[in-house]
Amino acid sequence: MTKNKTELLYNQLSKTRSQIITSLLFITILGYFGFIGVIAFNPSFFGQMFQGLNISIGILLGFLLILLIFFVTLVYVYLANKKLQPLIEKIKND
Amino acid sequence: MIEFFIENIAISMFIIFVGLTLYITYWASKRTKTAKSFYTAGGEITGFQNGLAISGDFMSAASFLGISGLVYLTGFDGLIYSIGFLVGWPIILLLIAEPLRNLGKYSFADVASFRLKQKPIRLLAACGSLFTVILYLIAQMVGAGKLIEILFGLPYYAAVLIVGGLMILYVTFGGMLATTWVQIIKAILLLSGASLISILVLQEFDFNLNLFFIEATNIHSKGIDILAPGGLISDPISAISLGLALMFGTAGLPHILMRFFTVKDAVQARKSVVYATGFIGYFYILTFIIGFGAIILVSQNPLYLDDLGGLIGKNNMAAIHLAHAVGGEVLLGFISAVAFATILAVVSGLTLAGASAISHDLYANVFNHKKTNEKKEMQVSKIATIALGLLAIFLGIIFESQNVAFMVGLAFAIAASTNFPILLLSIYWKNLTTRGAVIGGSAGLLTAIILVILGPVVWVDVFKNSQPIFPYKYPALFSMSVTFLGIWFFSMIDKSKDAQLVKSKFNSQFFRSQTGIGINKAVKH
Repeated sequence: MTKNKTELLYNQLSKTRSQIITSLLFITILGYFGFIGVIAFNPSFFGQMFQGLNISIGILLGFLLILLIFFVTLVYVYLANKKLQPLIEKIKND
Repeated sequence: MIEFFIENIAISMFIIFVGLTLYITYWASKRTKTAKSFYTAGGEITGFQNGLAISGDFMSAASFLGISGLVYLTGFDGLIYSIGFLVGWPIILLLIAEPLRNLGKYSFADVASFRLKQKPIRLLAACGSLFTVILYLIAQMVGAGKLIEILFGLPYYAAVLIVGGLMILYVTFGGMLATTWVQIIKAILLLSGASLISILVLQEFDFNLNLFFIEATNIHSKGIDILAPGGLISDPISAISLGLALMFGTAGLPHILMRFFTVKDAVQARKSVVYATGFIGYFYILTFIIGFGAIILVSQNPLYLDDLGGLIGKNNMAAIHLAHAVGGEVLLGFISAVAFATILAVVSGLTLAGASAISHDLYANVFNHKKTNEKKEMQVSKIATIALGLLAIFLGIIFESQNVAFMVGLAFAIAASTNFPILLLSIYWKNLTTRGAVIGGSAGLLTAIILVILGPVVWVDVFKNSQPIFPYKYPALFSMSVTFLGIWFFSMIDKSKDAQLVKSKFNSQFFRSQTGIGINKAVKH
């Protein structure tokens, strides 16, 4: 294969990967520091109860954050296997 | 025989576990002939197995008993730690796991020294690793000794000796292969045990979480406040500093990073993080339920309280007492054995990581460069394992009556301030130079240690001074800033020949870190 084609594939790989990583990293950091930020600056918000139940907003959001963190890893692997891996294999074969 | 088993369920379970793991060690020892198999189990662990082993490494007895104890005591605040420990995983997955697998061989220092100058950078990485490992080991050994003292009625020093001795056997003879399987078995046991307790607790409330929390707030002396942030974090600086240490510390723990060399390629490395994150997240949800369960079922029961009304064996025993409350002697025995197994598995992983820093980084590449071969390196790593094991026993006994709670926090701060920045920048920042990495990394390491010593946890709690010199409990915000600024500044002003050379190697290193091409060619460090 020509050197140019490999280079094109590699550029595409780098670009796609950095898009995926940046957006997922942004979601993770926003979610986590949002959570920490509320604890630091407005803890009483987390003490409010959710819709008349005896479950606080803090606990509910905490559990959702755990799910979000897992979801981020799941999405990354899905995207990496679907979009990045084929490019890597193509570059390897060249 | 059967009667003995039922009466001594904890000891019987424990003997079965030890027997099984020693058999695995024997089996693994026949497959552990080369340095590669010793450090990486031959690279043949699957993503799923590695995910379990990683979660095993991460779910230490300290986090099982410690976090459920913290939830028992403070309610919501326990969740802050759980989430912080968990959020390190996407960071590892997105930024570290694949380049680490594609560039490294046995230790994360391989990656840092891929283009940077071998000796200085490995020396620093090894220091960072050893500090982290030893602090963690002390905390685990002291916790182990006390726990076993309570659970099995053994004297403290005997418990420490048993843990240290078994760990030396596993690692010296079975290397990474045995350590991985011990970790996998323990992870399965711990996840099943914690699930069982949680199910039994929630069953009493027909799995209605609302009723469950109502009951807990009715019983706890702080009432409804346990559902809100409490006193764990009192100011924004502490909140952010703790958050940074937890988030980025995980990505700098040498025993965790080492796990990524046990899988075949970057695809399996990715997979292992997803499994690990799932298991760990699930586990933290369980510890939360267990902590609240203990508020309801343990805190009022005189069976579990001492004369002063506190828990027998202090708050960290909340999960253990709860096991008894919901499952009687049998579940108590099972959970006690699981706690012991957990400690053994975690100290083994730590020791292996420490031994690889000594043999692979210090011996083979710093002090004895070019004169060594793989066989010699492996001998050194076995000697290092025994030495670290003995050191852990010795320190465990010395620190028996000291407050060691700060040590895990310090280990995370060092991992976040030295190991993680060096690893991250060596992978992604073209202008990094050896000088910058060494100066910035060492400055961050020293800052973390000094600030912890001058802060409330050591200066006041350990040295009994009335006022801390440094007001915050968690140094990471400051020490990480020192590291990153130091690395940036000293890299930018570095005009040496080495700096030019290091920069010129970046593009080909980045190509390999992204694609894994070149990974099978022998890399002689």
